[in-house]
Amino acid sequence: MALLERSAWYDLARSTEWTPSYISQDELFPPEMSGGEGIPAEVWSTYDEPYKVTYREYVDVQRQKDEGAYSVKAALERADLYNKADPGWISILKEHYAAVALVEYGASFQEARYVRWSKAPGMRNMATFGMLDEMRHGQIQLYFPHEYIGKDRQFDWSHQMMWSNNWVALGARHFFDDMLMTRGAAETSISANFAFETGFTNLQFIGLSGDAANAGDFTFSKLIQSIQSDEARHAQLGTPLLQMMIENGQKAKAQNLIDIAFWRSYRLFTILSGIPMDYYVPLEVRESSFKEFMEEWIVTQFMKSIEDLGLSKPWYWDIFLRDLDEHHHGQHLGTYSWRPTLWWNPAAGVSPEERDWLEEKYPGWNDTFGKVWDVMIDNFVSGRPEKTVPGTLPMICNVSQLPIVGTPGVSLKDTSIVFEGRKYHFASEVDKWIFEQDPERYKHHKNLIDRFLGGEIQPANLDGVLEYMGLGVISPGGDDAHGYAWLEAYKTALAPAG
Amino acid sequence: MALFPISSKFEGDFVLKLVPVDTENTMAEVAAAAAEHSVGVHVPDQPGRPIRARAEGSTEAYPLDMKLSETGLGPTDTVEFYFE
Repeated sequence: MALLERSAWYDLARSTEWTPSYISQDELFPPEMSGGEGIPAEVWSTYDEPYKVTYREYVDVQRQKDEGAYSVKAALERADLYNKADPGWISILKEHYAAVALVEYGASFQEARYVRWSKAPGMRNMATFGMLDEMRHGQIQLYFPHEYIGKDRQFDWSHQMMWSNNWVALGARHFFDDMLMTRGAAETSISANFAFETGFTNLQFIGLSGDAANAGDFTFSKLIQSIQSDEARHAQLGTPLLQMMIENGQKAKAQNLIDIAFWRSYRLFTILSGIPMDYYVPLEVRESSFKEFMEEWIVTQFMKSIEDLGLSKPWYWDIFLRDLDEHHHGQHLGTYSWRPTLWWNPAAGVSPEERDWLEEKYPGWNDTFGKVWDVMIDNFVSGRPEKTVPGTLPMICNVSQLPIVGTPGVSLKDTSIVFEGRKYHFASEVDKWIFEQDPERYKHHKNLIDRFLGGEIQPANLDGVLEYMGLGVISPGGDDAHGYAWLEAYKTALAPAG
Repeated sequence: MALFPISSKFEGDFVLKLVPVDTENTMAEVAAAAAEHSVGVHVPDQPGRPIRARAEGSTEAYPLDMKLSETGLGPTDTVEFYFE
């Protein structure tokens, strides 16, 4: 039997709609699940997206993508990347797989919620493919690191991290629960597909892909290119909804959703992308700094897509631009200082040559963050390693769940409020603003410090905290990626004359 | 006497730190406790210069012999520490 041309049936198929007769529209699409309140019923059927794909086409293309990624992996397995690559690169793999694989699987539930609850039939159709995309991403990013577990137990975090109480997991769950899991389908699509995926997954998947190829890790480069080709498609799910909101008098709501999601995504990616790009990627293969990637993908391209829709830059734009020079440097100092709390071995990235690069990319780095590194380096070189790991915990933001950091002598600041008798601390004015947009949403969550002070972590000391976070349980915690070899240049420089 | 957590913002440091102290501690003792986690760890020592404490954003230091319980600070409030 001859197949119909796609154009002969596709629009009819994807706009096929329920006509409920024995339940109400709100029972079929409960507002708390579907969202999009205030958009007239007849508007939903006008939802349109640029990627018109059939199941037959989808399966064929996805098979080819898998074939490409898995065959590169198979071909290069004997290349012994684990032992040959720079240890900083191996740390990037550990951080990436643990932070991303199960989140991708979680995102299949996000897409599945659209499949059931979206009031736009075209969106339900496209989200079916998005759901399958995310399952593939979860599976492939668990399968690829699995070969390394026998060599290094820290790779087991690829599967374990999101089930743990590691501080990064607390931040990631808080973020993804907020963005992916706990808003109506329409709102989720703007937060997750438009703001998070369109804006930020480019940064991780395209930005790191070039670095991976330069570092000789063609398996990882091919893998994340394969994933990004899916992301680029299903990220489009949110744009038609944005247009519908704007055209139906809900511009302020759309702007608010983007402003929240943009900042939260940015701050999370300072850990996931910012630190690796500026400190872990071997200096000789770095393509661009984190700030340069952000300027290309976010400041220029993503902002253009926002302004093309008639929306504005977030109200905190000037704060954000300043933050690009600061925040991830503080977080790197924090993660390196508290390295026993990590499941990867951080590269310091502050050899004399690397400091020159940092100073070139971030003028003033040596006079601010560099001064803190000077103290740490002096401790290492002078035989005081115990002074290089703090004996207490950092204060943690009640929104981002990240340590409250700032540029030494310039911007370190507590931003706090008391709400219903409880004190909340924030890492910025923007985090505080996010909390104030919907205190009911955020007020119950306890960050690591709340748990520590509340007696949930026992014994109430650093050993107890490490065990609570899964260090020494799932795998040993982090230590310097290069075995402190980078200190040799400083030892030579500081050696006594004669 | 009661264990009392404060948030330490030490001049020259890059991160706020949780510092457990006691309500009966003087502010000189509180400053010493904060210094233990910053000076020589992330902030260079400045021998001979005393460390003072003030409420975040304030220009006035707490008297060194003032007890923490007399400052009006609440649990986890941020205190600025600096070399005088």
